[in-house]
Order: sequence, then C-alpha cells, then structure tokens
Amino acid sequence: MPLIEIKGASKGYGHNGSRSEVLKNINLSVEEGEFVVIVGYSGSGKSTLINLISGLVKPDAGEALIEGRKITEPGPDRGLVFQNYSLLPWLTVEENIALAVDEVFKEWTPKQRKEHVAKHIAMVKLSHAAHKLPKELSGGMRQRVSVARTLAMNPKVLLMDEPLSALDALTRATLQDEISEIWQSNKTTVIWITNDPDEAILVADKVIPLLPTAPATLGEPMLIDLERPRDRRSINHDPKFKKLRTQLITTLLDAKGRTKSKATMKLTLPDILPEDITNKNALPFLNRGGPKRRNADKREEVEVTA
Amino acid sequence: MHPLIQKYKLDSIFLPLVAIVITCVFWYAIAGKSVVTEKVDDFGDKVKITKREGLSADLPTPVETWTASKPYIVEPFAKRGELDQGILRFTWMSLVLVAQGYLIALVIGTPVGFFLGLSKQFTKAFDPIIQVLRPVSPLAWLPLGMILFSGVKIVNADGRTTFGASDAAALFTIAICAMWPTVMNTAVGVRAVPVDYLNVAKVLKLSKWKTLWKVLVPATLPYMFTGFRLSLGIAWLVIVAVEMLTGRPGVGGFLWQQYNANSYAHIILCILTIGVIGYVLDRLMSVVEGRFKTA
Repeated sequence: MPLIEIKGASKGYGHNGSRSEVLKNINLSVEEGEFVVIVGYSGSGKSTLINLISGLVKPDAGEALIEGRKITEPGPDRGLVFQNYSLLPWLTVEENIALAVDEVFKEWTPKQRKEHVAKHIAMVKLSHAAHKLPKELSGGMRQRVSVARTLAMNPKVLLMDEPLSALDALTRATLQDEISEIWQSNKTTVIWITNDPDEAILVADKVIPLLPTAPATLGEPMLIDLERPRDRRSINHDPKFKKLRTQLITTLLDAKGRTKSKATMKLTLPDILPEDITNKNALPFLNRGGPKRRNADKREEVEVTA
Repeated sequence: MHPLIQKYKLDSIFLPLVAIVITCVFWYAIAGKSVVTEKVDDFGDKVKITKREGLSADLPTPVETWTASKPYIVEPFAKRGELDQGILRFTWMSLVLVAQGYLIALVIGTPVGFFLGLSKQFTKAFDPIIQVLRPVSPLAWLPLGMILFSGVKIVNADGRTTFGASDAAALFTIAICAMWPTVMNTAVGVRAVPVDYLNVAKVLKLSKWKTLWKVLVPATLPYMFTGFRLSLGIAWLVIVAVEMLTGRPGVGGFLWQQYNANSYAHIILCILTIGVIGYVLDRLMSVVEGRFKTA
C-alpha cells in the first residue's frame, strides 16, 4: 500500500460566478522512502496540491489518504516545511524546535527531548547558533532550522513547499545538497515542490510535472535513475541528466503552449495636453487655459502567448 | 548654524530653550500686571489702590506664577492640610487612582480585544456597541458610575468610608474611557497574526490554550503595547475630569479647588505638572513597547 495517495482530487476557490478551478482530477501515489518532486509553474496550484496532503486544504472532490486513512486535518505525521520558514520570531532556534518536540513527544522525559532537539540542531549544522533568534540568522540558516524542526517531529512524510525559492542561488545549491544528504541518511519519504526543473532532477527519485492546464493536472511521472550522491559539477555533462532535463522542460513548455490565453489590457496614455500659450489676454488669470486632460483611454486587445 | 552649537549638539537644548523663552514673553505680554495708584479719598487720606491691567487682567505673569507655586515645588511632598499639599503628593494620589483604573481597563480590554480579533461573529455582534460607546466623554460616564455603584460603601474600623460610590465611579470612568485603545489595538493585532504562524500551530496540533499562549499572545504583543500606551495617555487625561467632578484630592482636584479660591497661579502649576507627568508616562511606555518589538 502506498504511504500517500491522492485519488481523483479536485480543488477550486471562490463561489459561483467568480469561481476558479485550481486542480482537477489529481492522482498521485507515493511509496514509503520515495523522494518525489513535483515541478510546475508559479501559481499553477502547487501549494494547494501539497496542502491537500498536509491537511490545511480539503479537496472538493476525491480524497487524500495517508496509509489508507483519509486526511482530514493537519498533523505532525506530515511534517510541512514552509516556503517562508515560519519560525516564531520570539523564540530562539532551540526553542522553536523544542516547541515541536515537546508537543509531539509528550511522553518522553525532558532530558530525552532536550537531546532530541540538540541532535537535530547538529544535523543541520547549527549547534553554534542554537541560542540565536531567527532574525539573527541568514535565510539559508532559517530554512535549515525549519527543516530541523520538521524532521524532529519524526514525520512519516516530509512535505516541502518550495523550500528554497526564497534563497539566493548559491545558498540554494548548498541546501539542496544538505537536504539530499539528510534524506540519504534517514530515508524519510519526501514530497518536494519546486519551480526549478534542475533542482527537481538533482534531488529526486521521481519527478512529476504539474501541467499548467487550467485547472492543473499531473503529468506522467519521470523516474530519475541517476547515481547518488549526485555531484552538481559533473552532472551537468551527464548525457542522462541532459536528456531528462530536456524531456521535463519540453513537457512543461508544451503544456503551457496548449493553453493560450487572451488578456485585455488597458493602456493608459499620458492624460494631458500642453497649454496653449498663443492666446494672449490682458487679464491672463481670467483666461488661463492650463494644461488639458485628454481623458481618453485607448483599449487594445493583446494576445499573450507562452 | 554656529559651529560650536553643532559640535556639542546644543541645538537640541538651545532651540527648545528659545521656544520656551518666546512662549514666556508672549505669556508675559498678555498677562495682567498689578498697577498701584495713589489717590486721595473723600476723607482726605492717601490710599493705595492696586488694579490689574492688561490683555487678560486675571492671568498671572510667569514671575507671579513662580512665586506663588514655589512652596508647592520646593517642598513637593509637604502636607500642610488636606487641600494644601506639595504638588508631587497630589500627583502621587492621582497616579495611584490612574493605576487602579488603568489596570482594570487592561484586564477587561485585552480579552475583549482577543475575542474581537478571533471571532467574526463576536465582532459583528459587539462592534456597533463599541463604536457607539467609544467616543463618549468621561464627563458623561461619571454620573452613570455614581448611579451604578451607589450602593458601594466600605467602612473601616473608625467608621470612616474608605471606598465609596464616588471612588468606584472614578475607577469605572477611568477604566471605561481608557479601555478602547487596548481593545482596538489588540483586535487588530490578533487579526494581523501571520497565517503561517497559525499553520505551524495547526501542523503541530497545539491545543487551543497552547496556541493562544505560545503563538497568538507573543505575536500580538507589539500591537497590545501600542494599545496599552494610548490607554495610559487617556487614563491620565480622564483623571483631571474625574477629580474635578468628585472633588477627590489630586492634581485635578487641586486645580479646580484653586480656581474656586481665585489663586490662578496654581492652575498653571497644575497644568504644567499634568503635562510633564503625561509626557513622562508616555516615554516610559514607549521604552517598554520598544522592548517587545519582535522581528
């Protein structure tokens, strides 16, 4: 039995009239220990998809299951790593993680819990910053704390909602490597959402494109059978990597190409005409034309492709 | 600007001083001055007649104000009689009353603010009432307080009333007037708690109680303290009105009593004291507020 399963799920927002469907007929199954990455365009419903699993969003139709049970609410068995870290700014690194540990492992002794917290801080290499507040840390460090907090709950599955998209490219690369290292050592199931195809192929076992049809649907899964550990310097020249990347990008671009959309745009011209100064008058203040408003908008229809 | 002034940052002392001097000169200009004229009366005796003249004849000049206020300032804690005490002694009485009323305001206002922030139904139900009660003046609340607490009477061993209806009414007035900024700011603060923090609480399955204390309260604290600071300002405003109406000893009571006694210099002393104390309280609160600013 797969660990996570989504069957025929659909989700839309808004009420009749201004309703927009975001996801339609989503079928997904993730086996235990798998590292699945879902790639899609920004705004195509990726966060909604992962929130179906986290339980923060309920599907309109279909169902989301964990170990065969229906997901009805969020819980610590599905650890969610947020895009913007979501550390509580008034707690130190240690306290942020302890908040999670104390809640999930209530039956442990305080000493056990403390060791558990320390272990996870060490795992993300932040022991030196354990007593710092989030605002004293860099973006990469904050996201590492967030990952540590989530892993410390010993979740059955680690859900990552664009975990690295707020970071600069170099920090991003380091964290990709660190997270895949951590995954290799403890083999937690991971569902990772990203908008970066390279990142997807670099870290995943299985990449699933989220096709930007409106509403979005999942594409065919691609198995990434590249050797681990993957070295980002040499992998760029690996023909297998290149082929997978071309295939993934083509899939996404093709799907986007099929959904041409038309948009109406209002082009506002500078709404002012210069003052006519040829008209001289004995009492200028009585007869000042002043600049004039053109007061006319030109409407144009523009076809937006790609 | 002169380089010497710039070097020692004297302008932050110098410029206010200039403004104070200008104000005093203006004050002196409009104040009444005593003019003594000698006159021979009907019996042929010489008499001195003192008349006050000026734009505002009864307004004491700065110097007169200082001379008359000196005993209250140089001996700020003296007690010469029930209604003749050093200015800080009066201030202390007022501050004690304000502190009590203010505490009641916070204890009631903060939870109300939380309910307003958390529940849409609660907001819809109570918002009209709050919006109507909010702008009501302390002068209007006090008589209602008198009626509400007319039965209150705590008598000590000697048979003297230690806490009567007017005390209860005073506290009631301060509390209900000072409550609103705390209520409104707390409500806004609770609504402004980032959804992500609440999602963290949901994912961790924190209990309602723990979510409140570990997430909601710390996230709302900066807003709450802004409310607390504004509330304190209002409590201090209300105290004067309350003391005037109830005749309690305190800065406001002293002010009104001195007006009735025609010693106008003391009124100015009271106004300045009220202003200075209000300023000090506000500064203190903003220091505390600054401490609670997170991220």
